[in-house]
Amino acid sequence: MINGSLAPVKAVITDVRQESPGVKTFTIEPAGTFTMETHPMAKPGQFNMLGYPGVGEAPISFSVLPSGEGKKNKKDKKGKKIFGHTVRTAGRVTGFLSQFGRGDELFLRGPFGRGWPLEEVMGKHLLLITGGLGLAPLRPVIEMARSLAPIEVTLLHGARGPEDIIFKTEFARWQRVGAVKIGLTVDNPGQEQEIAGDIKIHSGLITELIRPLRIEPAQTIAFICGPEIMMRFSARELMLKGMSGSAIHVSVERRMKCGTGHCGHCQIGPWFTCKDGPVFAYDQLKGLPDVIL
Amino acid sequence: MTGASAFQKDYKTIIPVEALARFVERLGEQYTLTGPVGGGLTARFEDVSSFSQMDLDYQSTMLPPGKKYLFEPVQEVLSFDISEGRFLEDHKDPQMRKRALIGLHPCDVNAILYLDKVFLGQYTDPFYRIRRENIFTIALNCKSVTDLCFCHLVGAGPYLKARSGYDILLTELRGLLTDSGVDSGGSGADMDGGEKKFLLELASEKARDLFHALSPDKGKPPEEKDLAKIKEMEAALLKTFKKNLDMEAVQNALLARPDHHALKETADSRCLSCSNCVMVCPTCFCHDVRDETDLALSRVKKIRRWDACQDISFARVHGGNFRAQRYARLRQFVFHKLDYDTQFGMKATVGCGRCIRWCPTGIDLTEIAKAMME
Repeated sequence: MINGSLAPVKAVITDVRQESPGVKTFTIEPAGTFTMETHPMAKPGQFNMLGYPGVGEAPISFSVLPSGEGKKNKKDKKGKKIFGHTVRTAGRVTGFLSQFGRGDELFLRGPFGRGWPLEEVMGKHLLLITGGLGLAPLRPVIEMARSLAPIEVTLLHGARGPEDIIFKTEFARWQRVGAVKIGLTVDNPGQEQEIAGDIKIHSGLITELIRPLRIEPAQTIAFICGPEIMMRFSARELMLKGMSGSAIHVSVERRMKCGTGHCGHCQIGPWFTCKDGPVFAYDQLKGLPDVIL
Repeated sequence: MTGASAFQKDYKTIIPVEALARFVERLGEQYTLTGPVGGGLTARFEDVSSFSQMDLDYQSTMLPPGKKYLFEPVQEVLSFDISEGRFLEDHKDPQMRKRALIGLHPCDVNAILYLDKVFLGQYTDPFYRIRRENIFTIALNCKSVTDLCFCHLVGAGPYLKARSGYDILLTELRGLLTDSGVDSGGSGADMDGGEKKFLLELASEKARDLFHALSPDKGKPPEEKDLAKIKEMEAALLKTFKKNLDMEAVQNALLARPDHHALKETADSRCLSCSNCVMVCPTCFCHDVRDETDLALSRVKKIRRWDACQDISFARVHGGNFRAQRYARLRQFVFHKLDYDTQFGMKATVGCGRCIRWCPTGIDLTEIAKAMME
């Protein structure tokens, strides 16, 4: 009786990987009633509602997508399509999920929302600016970046400390295979001065990495994901360089209960974050009440 | 359905109240009859067993009928068996009882059309859909206006202009007074001692089929003078509205002044964040979805409940609250009703005035908007 949107389906965790303190990536394989065919193909920037009945659900973006990974990772060893979510332990649901291991079952609904505007990347300098866990929803974009035919890809990533940088082991491959230029910065510098791929870790705000960047404003498209205050100042920095708000895309977080634009919790002005977002052009949100952008 | 194009939307007939009563009672053999009882400003929509139980002179209700029956305050959505680790397939279907909602005022019909956009849009809510398919809506044009009504400002009343989305539209012809205007409080009933009649308009195929099959008296087609009289009644009624606000000017104007002192002062001095405004609003659709586990730890029920943007936890997320301040929550309500027309392509207010009437401190969104535009 209940169709798609409200009824969660069972899925199995095939792998868990600790990315940084408090952050894990769960690789998930469809199980039971859940197949990739019944589950419409997800796009980077979309999210699933993950959880377990009795505990609750939390909206989590895809950090691994079947279509977004290199050929090796596209399928697991048995040839099944997989996808993944990177989750930080923050509240009740994510705290519960953090205890899960390989073989455990969880429930999910999705995919929901509008993803990154990939169709606008061709022929542009793709500028990815991420903070903390904000790198996760852009990881599938980086993995498929070459197929989007940008003229250049730059990733600027900020984290609290060197130990909080997620996907560390991927950076060298992204540089090599995807020709991604990478800049890293942390708030609290530690012992670690550089990471694999000879990327020097800068110390300071993400805006300090944006400022020296040379971009052709009309030829650049920016995808930003991180804390809202970080997205605010990153977007401003880009606009000072002459970029238009319509070429700057941000992914925002709000309280979400349904994912289908019914429950109303995630409203920002006239928008529903869950179905009109979570990716918005900066122009769409700027000036609306109750945003920090 | 076949014959849809052949259906004439402008089928009109004038029938005496006794004939209407007999039609409704025949309808009661197929439908649960639900209509206004109690009268005045605090009428309630309840199931009735006869036409005479209803008070069609009622002015307003506290709970809007559309929301009450189509989007219930508490709804079990899913049930999960913990030991088996699966959702129960035999989860009971939503109530499929066919219900005739009788005597809805135009504002409340328009509110249902709004809820249709919310729950039958990009994603369909199965519970809303099944109830919507099973209601038969008999709308009733208003014959009086309350001090707080402002439906005329948003095209939602006092006469229904929508041509679809409901089944039958009634306009009472009793007490048609060309000399002293229309009685304004419902107190002058039967003052002319004339026969009570209704103009009945069929607005759906279902209505046509049922009316022709069930009504013993089909009435007679209205004459030109009857229709002219109704136009006169509507014009007279429009003159009795007390509230005013330039709704076109409001669009985008509020958004340009998100921190206006009128909002802050109203919120700080009078708003109790009690959420009455939201609960009585016929278009407020927000709800919470929670998992409730029974004490035996055997079942989890996914429960949906009406929720309100006035509640402090409504926009709370890990690490903060996007509407921690009271005025931000009041602003969400006022702006949503008056300024976010782009959300569903129509005003989110139908001008029923309930949020004003049931606010313990009488906060009036139209007054806030006016002050903000000064």
